Amino acid sequence: MRIRAVFAAGLLSLLLAETAAAQPSNLSASGLVSEPEGAQIVTDPARIPRQFREAPMLAERVRAGTLPPVEQRVPAEPLVLQPLREIGRYGGTWRGAFNGPGDGENGNRINASDMMMSWDMVGARQVPSVARAWEVSADGRRTTLHLRRGMRWSDGSPFTADDFVFWFEDLYQNRAIVRAPMPELQVDGKPGRVIKLDETTVAFEFDAPNFLVVEQLGAQAGLGGQSYRQSNGLTYGGYAPSAYLRQFLPKYSSEEEVNRRARAAGYENWVQYLHFIKDWQLNPALPTLGPWRTVSPINTPNWVMERNPYYWMVDTEGNQLPYIDRVSLSLAENMEVINLRAISGAFDYQARHLQLANLPVLLENRDRGNYRIDINLATYGADLALHLNTSYTADPEIGKWLSNVDFRRALSLGIDRDQLNETFWLGLGTPGSVVVAESSPENPGAEWRRRWATLDVARANQMLDSIGLSRKDSAGFRLRTDNGQRLVLEVLAVQALQPYPRQLEMIAQQLRRIGIFLDVKETERTLAYTRVQNNQHHIFPWSNSGSEKLFLVPAYVLAVDPINSANGPAYAEWFASNGARGRRPEDPMILRAQELYRSAASLPEEQRNAAAQEIWRIAVDQVWSIGVVGVSPGSFGVQLTSNRLVNVPRRSCIANHCRTPNSAYPQQWFFR
Amino acid sequence: MLAYCLRRLALALVTIWSISVLTFIIIQLPPGDFADAYIAQLSSSGSTVSLDEVASLREMYGLGQPMHVQYFKWLSRMVVGDFGYSMEWRRPVVDVIGDRLWLTLAISVAALIVTWGLALPIGIYSAVRQYSAGDYLFTLVGFIGLAVPNFLLALILMYLGYTMFGLSVGGLFSPEFEQAPWSWAKFLDLLTHMILPTIVLATAGTAYLIRIMRANLLDELRMPYVVTARAKGLPEWRVIMKYPVRVALNPFASSVGYIFPHIVSGSIIISLVLALPTVGPLLLRALVAQDMFLAGTIVLLLGVLTVIGTFVSDLLLMWIDPRIRFQIH
Amino acid sequence: MSVTVLTAEERISHATQLQLTWWRFRKHKVALVSGVIILLFYLVVVLADFLATSDPHATDARRSFIPPQAIHLFDDGKFRPHVYGLKGIRDPRTFRLRYAPDPERKLPIRFLGRGYDYNLLGLIPTNIHLFSVEDAGPVDGIFLLGTDQLGRDLWSRLIVATRISLSIGLAGVGVSLVLGVLLGGISGLYGGTVDTIIQRLIELLRSVPTIPLWMGLAASLPADWSVLQVYFAITLIISLIGWTDLARVVRGRFMALRTEDFILAAELAGASRGRIIFRHMLPSFFSHIIAATSLALPAMIISETSLSFLGLGLRPPAISWGILLQDAQSVQSLALAPWLLCSAVPVIVAILAFNFLGDGLRDAADPYG
Repeated sequence: MRIRAVFAAGLLSLLLAETAAAQPSNLSASGLVSEPEGAQIVTDPARIPRQFREAPMLAERVRAGTLPPVEQRVPAEPLVLQPLREIGRYGGTWRGAFNGPGDGENGNRINASDMMMSWDMVGARQVPSVARAWEVSADGRRTTLHLRRGMRWSDGSPFTADDFVFWFEDLYQNRAIVRAPMPELQVDGKPGRVIKLDETTVAFEFDAPNFLVVEQLGAQAGLGGQSYRQSNGLTYGGYAPSAYLRQFLPKYSSEEEVNRRARAAGYENWVQYLHFIKDWQLNPALPTLGPWRTVSPINTPNWVMERNPYYWMVDTEGNQLPYIDRVSLSLAENMEVINLRAISGAFDYQARHLQLANLPVLLENRDRGNYRIDINLATYGADLALHLNTSYTADPEIGKWLSNVDFRRALSLGIDRDQLNETFWLGLGTPGSVVVAESSPENPGAEWRRRWATLDVARANQMLDSIGLSRKDSAGFRLRTDNGQRLVLEVLAVQALQPYPRQLEMIAQQLRRIGIFLDVKETERTLAYTRVQNNQHHIFPWSNSGSEKLFLVPAYVLAVDPINSANGPAYAEWFASNGARGRRPEDPMILRAQELYRSAASLPEEQRNAAAQEIWRIAVDQVWSIGVVGVSPGSFGVQLTSNRLVNVPRRSCIANHCRTPNSAYPQQWFFR
Repeated sequence: MLAYCLRRLALALVTIWSISVLTFIIIQLPPGDFADAYIAQLSSSGSTVSLDEVASLREMYGLGQPMHVQYFKWLSRMVVGDFGYSMEWRRPVVDVIGDRLWLTLAISVAALIVTWGLALPIGIYSAVRQYSAGDYLFTLVGFIGLAVPNFLLALILMYLGYTMFGLSVGGLFSPEFEQAPWSWAKFLDLLTHMILPTIVLATAGTAYLIRIMRANLLDELRMPYVVTARAKGLPEWRVIMKYPVRVALNPFASSVGYIFPHIVSGSIIISLVLALPTVGPLLLRALVAQDMFLAGTIVLLLGVLTVIGTFVSDLLLMWIDPRIRFQIH
Repeated sequence: MSVTVLTAEERISHATQLQLTWWRFRKHKVALVSGVIILLFYLVVVLADFLATSDPHATDARRSFIPPQAIHLFDDGKFRPHVYGLKGIRDPRTFRLRYAPDPERKLPIRFLGRGYDYNLLGLIPTNIHLFSVEDAGPVDGIFLLGTDQLGRDLWSRLIVATRISLSIGLAGVGVSLVLGVLLGGISGLYGGTVDTIIQRLIELLRSVPTIPLWMGLAASLPADWSVLQVYFAITLIISLIGWTDLARVVRGRFMALRTEDFILAAELAGASRGRIIFRHMLPSFFSHIIAATSLALPAMIISETSLSFLGLGLRPPAISWGILLQDAQSVQSLALAPWLLCSAVPVIVAILAFNFLGDGLRDAADPYG
C-alpha cells in the first residue's frame, strides 16, 4: 500500500484509520528504509591476515624513519573486520559539521570504538572492540576482560592492564581529581575494584553480583571509554594512558613540579592542567585508542582528526584501518546553516544535527548535492514525552492532580497523536506510549504501545469529571478545587532535540477539548533545566532517548536520576541519595519501580529483561510520562551519505548505546 | 586643553569601572551557572551526567563562591592582564577572542567602507538635487534597506546565493582554507565569503547615513556663506565641496568612535544566521552558556571601546571644527 | 465683535506653532500618505479579530503548509465569491504535503459571516467577521496568505500580530518619551552636576551592548509571569535603552532655548518656572518630539523582532511580528513554504511609513526654516 494521506473535510475518521494502518508501509514504499546491514567481525583463525598494509601517508613516515613498520604497530591479535561491501582504498577527508565546543559527543561517537565492547548492527548483542573477549563469573561478582596482545596507544606506547590500574588508583581514586565515586563502580553503595590479572587481563570486581557492568563497559556510561568520559573535566572511562599522564601527577614527581608546569602552561594548578591534558578533544599530544586522533582541537573553527597510526583494526586483507585519512568537522553554531550546507553537498556523512522536518528539502536536492538519504528508525518509545512532575509540591492543588493517576491518564487520552505525527514527523513516527520498540527484549508486548495512548476525548472528560474536576469557567476550562480559579498547568518547553515549543502549542490546542488549560512557556535550556532539578516545573517535554536499554539510561522513565528524571525529581533525589535527601514517594507503584530498578544489577540478562518488562508495564500504566510519538527517525534518523562514500550501511543501530555512527564502523568507509 | 583631556580621561575611567560592575551584574542575573548550562547542553545532545560530575565541575571553576568574591577575583586578575579562562571553550579568554577579533575587524571595516562609499555621494546628491526623481529613488531604496529585518535578509540572501549562484553556505572560509596558512588564494576565498555579510551589514547603516548626510547638507546649503560663495561666482561643485560638505561631515566624525562596538553588537544576529566566526556570536553563546569570564570580557571590551571611541570622536571633532575648539577655551 | 479678514501673511504671523507645522506638513505628500497608512495600521490594531478570517491559534495537521489560495469572484457569470475546497496528499517520494483544489467543492465566502468567538473592541462578545467561510469543515477556510506548519492561517495571524507589535511599540515609545523628556529636560535645564550625572548615565547605558543587557534582564524575569506581564516587562526593557536618544535631543533643545530672548523676556515678566517650561519652551519643540517619536517607533519594532528571533522577547503562543518572522526564518520555510515570508511585508511597510512620517514631521517642525 502506498503512503497516502487524503486530506478532505469529513473524512477525519477515515483519514486517521488510513494513516495509522499505512504507517509501516509508508516507509518501505519510499525506498529509504533498508534492512539492517554492517561490517562483520571475523573470528575464524583461518581468515586472520598475516601480512599487513598501511595508508600511503603512513608508509611515507615509515620510509622517512619516523614511524616503525606496520607489522610492529598492529597488535598480534588485531580486530579483523570484513568490510560491508568491498575492500577499500586509502585516503580522503570526511567532511562533517559540529556546532561548537560543547558538541564533543560528535567526535566522541566517531571514535567510540575505544570502548571495551561495541554492539552489533541492530544493537542487540555486544561484540568485541578494545577487549578481545570477556567473561562474567557465574555469581556476577567478577567481569574479566581479555585485551589484545601487542596493542598500542596512538603514540606507540603499549596498552596493557596497567593502564586500567593506573586510571583506577591514580586518577579515579584521587579525590583531588574525581570528587565522588561513580554509580557504575558501586553495588549497594559498596565500591568495586579494578584488578590486573596479567599484562592483558583485567577484572572488575564487586562485593555483590553486578551483571550490569559488562554492558556499561560498552555504552554511554561512566566506563564508556576514554573519548566519552575523560573530556570536559570528567575523569571516568575505565582506563587512561599511564605512560603519558604520569608526568602530570604529583605522585610521580612532586606537587611543586606539577604546579610549576601547570602555571607555565597558563593554568592555576595541576588539577586544572590535568583536565586539559587528558582531554582528547583539546590535547593533540594525548595518546588515544580511537581510529582518528585530534590534530586541530574542538575549540577552533575546524575540528580536525587524523588517522591513528597504531590503530588496531585491520580488514580481511590485512589493510590497517581506517581507510579515511582525516575527519574535518566545520563549525556552524546555527542549525539552519548546517542543514543548508548539508543540502548543498558540503558533507560526506552527516546524521547528527539533521532535522527530520527538512527531509523533503534534503530529498529534493539529492542529485544536485550528490548524496543519498537513508532513514534509520530509533527504538526508544518517545521523541516527545510529557514528563509530569509527580513530586511537585510548590502548589498543593497542582501537586495533587499531577500525582493522581486518573488525571495523568485523562491528559494522555486528550492528545491527538496522529495529528502531531503528521505535522512534525511527516507521518514517519509511531504514535503511542513511552514504551520501547516491540523489537526489544525489554518490551512487554505490543498492546502496551496504545495503552492510555489513544485519542478518547469522551472518556478523558468523564474521568476528569469523576475525580472532582467537573466545574468549568465560561471558556470551558476546568477550575481548581481550592480557590475556584482556572486550573493552569505550566509547560516548560525548550527548543532542543525536537521543536518542543511548537509541538506543545498544538497539544495545548487539543487539550482545550477536555477543558485543560496548558500554559506553554518557551524557556531557555539552562533555565528550564535548573527549574527541573529544583522540582519547580509542572510538565517538562523531552524525549526518552536512551531508554531502549532501560538499565543503562533509566532517567527518562523512572524517578531515579536527580538531574534528568523530570517525572519526579524529588523522588529521584531520595532514591539516588539512599534517603538522605529528597522525598520518599508515597505512591507504591513508584516505590515498586525504583525497587525493581535497584535489583537489576544483581540479575543475569534474562531475569533483567523480565524486570525491565515489568517496569515498562508499570510506567505505561501509571503514565508518569505521556508518550506522544516515537520509534521514529526523529534524531540521528535522517542519514546523509555522499555518493562517493562506500561501505556506509544503509541502516544500522542508532540507539544511544550504539553510539552512532560507531556501530556503522566508519573505520571501513572509504571514498571511491 | 590638556586639563580638559585629563578630566575626560578620569571620567572615562569611572565609566569603565561602572561598566565592569554592570557587566558582572548582567551576566550573573539569569539563574543558574555554567554547570547548569553544561548539564542542559549534554542532555540536549542525548548524553547524561551525574550530580557528582557536576559538583566537581563547579568546584573546578569556583562557581560556588559568592558573587562579590567572584567579581573581585575577576577584577584583580584583569588589572594584571589576565582575563581568565573560558569554561565552554576550555581556553584562555584572550585566545578565544583573539582568533575572532581580526575577522570581526575585517568585516566591520569592509562594511564601513561600503557604507560610507555609498552613503556620502548619495547623501550629497540627494541634498543637492532635493526632491528630484533620484532623491526619491535613493530615499526609498535606503529606507527599504532600513526596514527589512536584516536577519531575514541574511538568510534569504544566503539561500538565494546558494541556489542561484552556488555560493558556499555561511562562514568566512571554505573548509579547505580554514586551517591553511595565509596565502593569496585564502585571501581571495575570504573576500568572496565577505560579500554577503558586508552587503547585509551595510544596508541598514547606509540608509541611516544617507539620511543624516542629506539633512545636514541641506541645513548647510541654506547658510548665508553658501549664498555668498555662489554670488561670488564660484563653480557649483566647489561651492558644495569646499565648506558645506566638510561641515556636514561632523556627525560622521562623531560616530566613528562608536562604529566598531556598534557593528559588533549590531551584527550578532547576522553573524549567527550566516555562521560567521566573529565576536558577536561568541558573546551570545557565552551568555547562553553562562561562560562568565568570556562574556564579561567581551562586554567590557565593547564598553571600553565605546568610551574610548567617544573620547576619540570628541578630539576629532575639535580638530575638524574650530567652533567647538573655541568653545572649550 | 468684528470679523477680521486676515491676509496670508497675517495668518502666518498669528498662527500657533502647531498650525504652522500642520500647514507645512500638508505639503509633504509622502509623509501624508504614510500618516494615512499608519492610521490604517492602528485601525487593524483595534479591529484585529474582526478582520481575521479564522482562529489564529487553531491548529490542524491537515492544513499544514497550504500555499496562498486564490479567491474566485464569479461563479457561472454571477458575482459569488468563493474558494475551492482543498485536498492534501503527501508525496510518497519526498514526504512533502501537496494540495490540489477540488473544483467540485465551492465554498462561498460570506461578507460579515460567522467565525470563531471573540470580543469586539475587547468588550462586545460576537462571532461576526468581515468575511468568512461558514459551516466549514476542519480543513476548509480562506487562506489568503497560506498556512504555517501547524496549519494556522497566516493572514489571521498577521492581523492579530499587528495588534501586539504596534501596541508594544507605542507603549515602549511612550515610556521612552516620558523618561527621555524628563531626564533630558532636567539635564538641559539645570546643567551642572545633575547634567553631568545624567550624561554619564546615558554614556554608561550606551556603552553596554544591548543584547547582553536584554538577555540578562529578560532571563531574570520571574518564570511564573503571564504572557501579558512578560510583554509589559519587555516593553519596559526596550524603552530602558530607547530613552537615551530622546534625552539627548531634548537636552540639546533646552540648552539652546535657555539663552533665547523670549525665555529671558518671560523670566523678566515674572513667569514661574513651570509656566516657562510648559507654556513657552515645550511647545516650541513639541513637533520635534513628535518627529523623534515617530522615528523611534520603527526602532522599537525592529527591537521586538530581534528579541523574538533570539528567543528573548515575546514567546508563542503570543503572536507578534517577531514571532511570525522567526517562523519564517528556517531552511524548511524558505524551501517548502516561502509564503511565510509575507510576514515581513507589514513590518517593512510600517517601518517605512513611520520613517517617512517622521521625516515629514521633522521638516515641518521647523516652520520658519
